[in-house]
Amino acid sequence: MIEKTRYIPDGKKERKNQPVIHYLEAEYLYFPTTDLRCPAGESCVVDGQYVKVGELIGTRQGGFFEQPIHSTVSGYIVGSEKKVHASGQTVDCLIVQNDKKYVLHEDCVSRTEEEIDALTKEDYIKIIKDSGLSGLGGSGFPTYIKLETKHPIHTIVGNGVECEPHLISDYKLILERANRIIEGLTYAMRATGAKKGIIAVKKKYPELYEVLENARHSFTNFDIEIKRVGNHYPAGWELDTIKSATGIKVPLGKLPAEYGVTVFNVATLYGFYRAVKRSMPITERFFSISGDGVKSSKNFQVRIGTPVRDLIEQTGGYTESDKNKVLICGGPMMGNALQSDDIIVTKTATSLIVLEEEVIPTEPCIHCASCVYSCPVDLQPVQIMNAYKDRDKDALNILGVNKCIECGLCSFTCPSKIHLTETMRQAKRFIKK
Amino acid sequence: MNYAKQTSPYIRKETSVKRMMFDVLIALLPLVIFAIYRFGMDALVRILLSAFIFVGVEVVSSLMKAKVHPSLKDKKERFMVRWKTLTINHVSAPLVSAVIFAMIIPSSLSLYVVSVGALAGSLIAKAFFGGLGSNIFNPAGVGRVVIGLSFTSAFSYPGIDVTTTATPLGAVKDSLLNIPEMLNTYSLQDLFLGNIPGSMGEISAILIILGGLYMFIRKAADFRVTLSMILSFSVMIAVAALAVKGEMVESVLYHVLSGGLLFGAVFMMTDPVTSPVTKPGRWIYGLVVGAIVAFIRLFGAFPEGVVFAILLGNIFVPLIDYYKWSKNKYSVKFIIGYVVALALLSVIVLLGIGGIN
Repeated sequence: MIEKTRYIPDGKKERKNQPVIHYLEAEYLYFPTTDLRCPAGESCVVDGQYVKVGELIGTRQGGFFEQPIHSTVSGYIVGSEKKVHASGQTVDCLIVQNDKKYVLHEDCVSRTEEEIDALTKEDYIKIIKDSGLSGLGGSGFPTYIKLETKHPIHTIVGNGVECEPHLISDYKLILERANRIIEGLTYAMRATGAKKGIIAVKKKYPELYEVLENARHSFTNFDIEIKRVGNHYPAGWELDTIKSATGIKVPLGKLPAEYGVTVFNVATLYGFYRAVKRSMPITERFFSISGDGVKSSKNFQVRIGTPVRDLIEQTGGYTESDKNKVLICGGPMMGNALQSDDIIVTKTATSLIVLEEEVIPTEPCIHCASCVYSCPVDLQPVQIMNAYKDRDKDALNILGVNKCIECGLCSFTCPSKIHLTETMRQAKRFIKK
Repeated sequence: MNYAKQTSPYIRKETSVKRMMFDVLIALLPLVIFAIYRFGMDALVRILLSAFIFVGVEVVSSLMKAKVHPSLKDKKERFMVRWKTLTINHVSAPLVSAVIFAMIIPSSLSLYVVSVGALAGSLIAKAFFGGLGSNIFNPAGVGRVVIGLSFTSAFSYPGIDVTTTATPLGAVKDSLLNIPEMLNTYSLQDLFLGNIPGSMGEISAILIILGGLYMFIRKAADFRVTLSMILSFSVMIAVAALAVKGEMVESVLYHVLSGGLLFGAVFMMTDPVTSPVTKPGRWIYGLVVGAIVAFIRLFGAFPEGVVFAILLGNIFVPLIDYYKWSKNKYSVKFIIGYVVALALLSVIVLLGIGGIN
């Protein structure tokens, strides 16, 4: 249809009301020593060594940063193995055999209010760096680098929008840990010197607004606001959230920090709380398994490092059919399709969706321009597609294909079912050549 | 178990080209029924004939275009492979063109001429350009223009004596000054309800507006082209009426309601295949077509300018869509440009009519 698509069926209703299973039974836990951002990594433990919850077991090295790896269970190191990362990459993983005692490491001691008040910006950066906290909304970008910014920050935005359909990870986290998220927000404000804190949640979830609003009243020393933003997609896109939460329009390609705003996912804010208050890294994650390819949908609260195969077993396994299965790590709009279910729950993993493969037949483009109307960054996907067919680099550059955020709306809205988003990716790769 | 290779997004909206085409057909349905009611079997036969030709050409050309692997030798099997490439859109899309084509010809047109027009529209304008989505001219419009130019004498309208006229407009094209007299013959109400001679589907303004509203509400068509075309056309006619010190409101209403203007604006221009792909582009497209219609009606030799104007407007579409300036955002530059262009065109009308003296 010739219209701007703003709303997509979000499929959270069933998942929201399901209970969360706290799964602690995994026999072995796997910790990747490399990932997409960090091509190199090393471990600082030896096989057979006993490690505790929160203990440093290695470091991942990226281009300009490094990320410590912590064990999320107590047990013995039993070597390493190749596993599939949520991004689809095969990575080396350290294996920890779980003794199910969950003994806490000695370094994980709570800080008192006085100690926290005495912390300087440098201390905060060091604490966050040592905790290995990274953007838990999905980017996986190390948080301490965001804190190191030279630009003066006046507002911290906590992003609890989670606009991808089917995901309930942030939703459950806010419901259960609202107080700690707000506390984490105050630490983030103290670390950056921001005067204002805003947490953005979707308008259609008044329950989230209420718990956060109640939690806010315990922190009257800080100027914190809970903002209800639109239900549209992609409302959780960083720039969209900033715009609806603060009214500041950050142009594409600029860092929000240049405009005095920093955005953290609510899960990252919770990570702030754990790192600053309890000197603990993030050890757990809400993870849901859904879709018509598994026998039942379930929500889990699991230790990071848990193999997803264990969780699939808990749901009753795959449905039997001759169709191929589509394994999606993440949401149905932007998630990665995996070629193996030998995956592990990482910090940024939120959900596994298993679908029966449906081949979508495409029709010729009829220039209805729904993709043009729907694009949140004002690109013209149909023109980019035609330019890519002509392999016209100039046109692709002028049409600004690199601005594409791959939100998936153009493919979603196309009445001819043309896979425009994939064309955008190919076009981006093409002009890089 | 195998894992499928797909890329995000994995879900799609509940929408299809099929739904869009059927929405247009539903919007056209009242006009078809009215045409059959007004003109009886004549209308029905012409609609069916053009539907048969449009769909037939589309199916045959699609079958010929389908690729079959050369290893397949058996003729029957080869045909079956081709046959399986056909979808519902190979019927619904040409059906839309066929009904639109039938609506813009008179009911008394000889069947031979109807066939030539339908063939020209489906074969030359659509199949030769690559079928659905690839045509740059409106197929129905091309069909109408080809027979309009080739068989001028074949056009006669029951109820109008003057030959080579499409609508009451043709009967009194001479001057804008005649409009009050014109209104004695055909009142605005007649024009509105369709109680006038003319092409089969163009006569009842109210049914066209109803169909248009249905399409706009169902989002099967973009209202921007229609609105922009009627707006620019009305402004120019108003200026012309002002120049000859005629009745402004009545002239504008008369011109908008008569001839193929409303039908063209609602059903032919909104064809997405031959429209630009940006919002400002669609406004500009409407402006271009509206201006050309006004010019043809005011200064041209043809009484019926809408189809010509739409085809001429189609030529501008690739230019409007050129990547260097096509933007989907309304900029100040666009708004100023639109207003200035409309003002300039109105000045040309004013000078052309001789309003300065």
